[in-house]
Amino acid sequence: MQPLQLPATDLTPAIHFDKEKEIFLIEGRSVADNPEPTFEQALNWLQEYSKSPNSTTKFCLKFEYYNPATARLLLNLFKVLENMKGAKIIWQFLEDDEDMEESGQELAELVTIPFDFQPY
Amino acid sequence: MSEEILKALTQLLAIVTKQDGGVSDNERQFVINFFQQELEKSAVAEYLKLYDTISGYNLQRVEHEDDTSNKLTSVKDSIKTLAICKKINKTLTQKQKVVVLIKILELVGSDKNFTPQRMEIVNTVSTVFNIEQGEYKLIESFVLADQISKINYPDILIADDAPGALASLQKHIHAHVEGHLVFMRVSSVGMYFVKYLGEGTNNLNGFIMKPHRVYLFSHGSTVKTPDGGALYYSDLIADFNEEIQTTKLSFIASIDEFRFDNGVVGIRDVKIAEGPGKLIGIMGSSGAGKTTLLNIMAGLEKPGKGKVKINGFDVHKDKASLEGVIGYVSQDDLLIEELTVYQNLYYNARLCLAHLTEIEIDFRVLKVLEDLGLEQRKDLKVGSVLDKTISGGQRKRLNIALELIRQPAILFLDEPTSGLSSRDSENVIDLLKELSLKGKLIFLVIHQPSSDIYKMFDKMILMDTGGYPIYYGNPVAAVTYFKKATNQVDSSRGQCEVCGNVNPEQIFNIIEAKVVDEYGQPTFKRKVTPTQWHEMYRSGFKASRIEDEKEVPPRSLHIPSRLVQTLIFTSRDFLAKISNKPYLLINMLEAPVLAFLLAFIIRYKSAPDGSAYIFRYNENLPAFLLMSIIVALFMGLTVSAEEIIRDRRILKRESFLNLSWNSYLLSKVSILFLLSAIQTFTFIAVGNLILEIQGMTLAFWLVLFTTSCFANVIGLNISSAFNSAVTVYVLIPLLLIPQMILSGVLFDFDKLNDLLGTKGKVPVVADLMTSRWAYEAMAVYQFKNNEFQKPYFEYEREEADADFKSAYLADELKKRNQFLLDQLNPSNDSIQKLVRVNKQILYKELKNEKFTIGLPPNDLKEVFVKNGYTERIGNELDRYFDAYKKHYQKSYNRNAELIEKKMAFYETNGFDIQGEKNSYFNESLSDLVRNINTKERIMEYKGNLIQMINPVFQSPKPRHIVDYRASFFIAEKNLIGTTISTYSFNLLVIWTLTIFFYITLYFEWLRKFVGLFSNFSVSIKK
Repeated sequence: MQPLQLPATDLTPAIHFDKEKEIFLIEGRSVADNPEPTFEQALNWLQEYSKSPNSTTKFCLKFEYYNPATARLLLNLFKVLENMKGAKIIWQFLEDDEDMEESGQELAELVTIPFDFQPY
Repeated sequence: MSEEILKALTQLLAIVTKQDGGVSDNERQFVINFFQQELEKSAVAEYLKLYDTISGYNLQRVEHEDDTSNKLTSVKDSIKTLAICKKINKTLTQKQKVVVLIKILELVGSDKNFTPQRMEIVNTVSTVFNIEQGEYKLIESFVLADQISKINYPDILIADDAPGALASLQKHIHAHVEGHLVFMRVSSVGMYFVKYLGEGTNNLNGFIMKPHRVYLFSHGSTVKTPDGGALYYSDLIADFNEEIQTTKLSFIASIDEFRFDNGVVGIRDVKIAEGPGKLIGIMGSSGAGKTTLLNIMAGLEKPGKGKVKINGFDVHKDKASLEGVIGYVSQDDLLIEELTVYQNLYYNARLCLAHLTEIEIDFRVLKVLEDLGLEQRKDLKVGSVLDKTISGGQRKRLNIALELIRQPAILFLDEPTSGLSSRDSENVIDLLKELSLKGKLIFLVIHQPSSDIYKMFDKMILMDTGGYPIYYGNPVAAVTYFKKATNQVDSSRGQCEVCGNVNPEQIFNIIEAKVVDEYGQPTFKRKVTPTQWHEMYRSGFKASRIEDEKEVPPRSLHIPSRLVQTLIFTSRDFLAKISNKPYLLINMLEAPVLAFLLAFIIRYKSAPDGSAYIFRYNENLPAFLLMSIIVALFMGLTVSAEEIIRDRRILKRESFLNLSWNSYLLSKVSILFLLSAIQTFTFIAVGNLILEIQGMTLAFWLVLFTTSCFANVIGLNISSAFNSAVTVYVLIPLLLIPQMILSGVLFDFDKLNDLLGTKGKVPVVADLMTSRWAYEAMAVYQFKNNEFQKPYFEYEREEADADFKSAYLADELKKRNQFLLDQLNPSNDSIQKLVRVNKQILYKELKNEKFTIGLPPNDLKEVFVKNGYTERIGNELDRYFDAYKKHYQKSYNRNAELIEKKMAFYETNGFDIQGEKNSYFNESLSDLVRNINTKERIMEYKGNLIQMINPVFQSPKPRHIVDYRASFFIAEKNLIGTTISTYSFNLLVIWTLTIFFYITLYFEWLRKFVGLFSNFSVSIKK
């Protein structure tokens, strides 16, 4: 399966998905009013991947900031992961960014996938 | 709104307003107003506190300064928004979500603080709510705009004083409004909203509209302007739906006179002319002829003088061209009680809308149910009027739905709102109004309409006692008309100045006002008689001219083919029966239980030594066969006797729709036959098992099934002929008891009243009885075809024939010949007569005799018919009869020997002849079919010698090709020249009778006959 690699822009985060290397990472800030195009690619890739996933999938999210529209799209990604065996979300946040930590906790309540919280 | 949702909404409002600069006092006030509207006073504070905490209203002054740098929505709020929206998504309907979205937008708009962050959140909310982007833009600009030119969408309608629309896409209507009334349609959910931009005081459903506030414009809403003008929901819907083309339709009725059957005038001098798209009410005191008028207009009854024309086609004559154009909703309850709400409508739709696919029909049914507010009840059984599962109002609405689903071009309704709550009535009328705005023409009889309903009509027809039309025109103007006519004060005011209400009762108070006597008591005399009102009407009103359309009106009825109809009817009936559990249970259990009872009671230790039950000696078998036939008849009758009576009203409607009567009957018959098949099978299976009747199950079943089917058709006949179930059930014994009397078992056919009986043959009256055919078939089949008897039947038959001839007939003939010899020259008339009779008998017996050795060679006709009998011939005959006797004795011995040999052969091959006889052969039945117990073995009757014994061994002696008559229990019969077994012959007879009665059922001969009879008795009374 072809890896997906999207570099970060001013408005969208960097996305790096690679099945072989077991990298599933979204990193940076997402502030676009219309982040759909970026996340559409991520979603498509994930759906393809979900047909034959690795035994474990550590899905790593390392946001500086994301806006409400992004939050909605994140839920769509999580929906795919919810049905995947061995999927787990690694929620990374700056050690003193309470907002980010709490928002991760609230997100965790909306879905059924296990969350791991890792300050950095 | 539930507490949970209100909490969610509060949070949502708080999060939105918290962004950029925080809550303003205006916004907070808006939220307070909203709470006050939704909640009782005590709860407002609680929710406000929640709002303040989340929005940070109290903290905000402190935070305000360092907050300016942060222009982004906090990630926490983003997720919170999402969580709340998801929660709302799970509980609220799409319609409610639209309302929530509008509330949020209104809040944001209350202080015009539209920062990008706020809008971002609102936008996210609308996306999560699955509101389409285009629609969101429409809603947003409708809620936020304060200038009408800014809201340029086709789903916006402006009502104001201006001559036309300001923006190109908007719709516009003219109304006396200060400022502008803006209406919006959200088409995905079919909702309408209104807001007012201006300074005047407009009323929405009796409440003052605040400027810039958005109101839901629900079904039946009315906006009233200060000068009394009104904008009705249904009118506005029409303006939105302008693209709906009006149908070409002209309805012209001119009924000069209509008389009832008894000669009383029902309707006189009614002239109505209408085009498409009107809702017309018919009102009047009871007995004024409202329903009659409606029936005549709908083509159900013929006017004596006058015509009703739709697009130039006469309603009463050109029925074919107008098929499906008219819809009629009577006051009758047309529901099938065992079916659910959905099924009732579904089967109706299948029968009327054959051109639609299954999915389209399903969609249409659900749509109509939703329109009538029945979608929640769709899976409930309708139930009977007494055993209610849905309310009276719901029943009524469902009845209307039956016709609405077709959307006929012209619709007639007889009191569609009677028995409905005022809310329900308004819904129904509103729906009709909406239909009329789609180009339908609707007439309805209505009683005591509320003011709102009354005003929804386009025209009102008022009738007075005796069938006089007294008003035809605008409903509100009717009040002024009658006030003016009686010189009342304030006669120019039609409706209440303050509330705009009209009181339709007022009209009837005026029309029916009574003269008061000198003591102030109202008398029975009316101030203005119906004739006077009518005179006034004739001079004051002229029916407006309506262009007579020539086009064939659009039809809304697409009847499926007869075969499909039969299938639909059958599956409908089947479903109804299946879902009626007690009915099913009783009908399924009845037969086996009866069989068990019967068989159990008559099974006894029948062996000669009383040691065990042996089938051969069970003397109850003949009675058991008779009982099973009676049971088959009884079950067949009772199961079918009520069928048509119950459906009578539905049938009336279905014949109005031109549905096939034959298809209906076929469906009934096929279901009943199926039921009969099951019942009779379970009966005979259980009965045969207990009584150990072996090898007969299928043959017996076929007879009983046939009998039961016959009873089914008879039951349907009486069910179609009478209108009450009681009559039918009283009739059942009348039908059954003759079947028992003339079955041939209880009373011997040879010992019946001489008027009926024909010795040696089954009397003709008995030939009309199914029981006799069925019994004969079963008894003969059992005797002839049982495992034991089968191999010997032919031998025994010859043996019996020879035995009869040698033992009885030979002597008898000889005796008669001797008499002839003695009376060669008869002295008196009576003896001459006897001589003639004896000659005749001898001739008949010898004519076809196969044994001819020693018979005088003379022509027998010459000898016996003409005067060829001489002493010589007589003596020759005497000798011949001796030879005859010997010959048949030999024949008898030969056959007896053959039988013995055969038995011996079987026995040596390991067959247990006695055992076989015990289990297959029944002595009592054998005695019965061989008529062993008769005293006279031979009998003279009307110049014939009749063999009384051994009918089962006799051969048919048809006198002509279609002569079917023979003695009871004969084993073979003549069918148009060929001989077939009695079993097949009798089944054939019963099926022929069944088909005959199906034909009488199809043409309803019995009903017509009964009709004649009841008309006759009425004329006697006069």
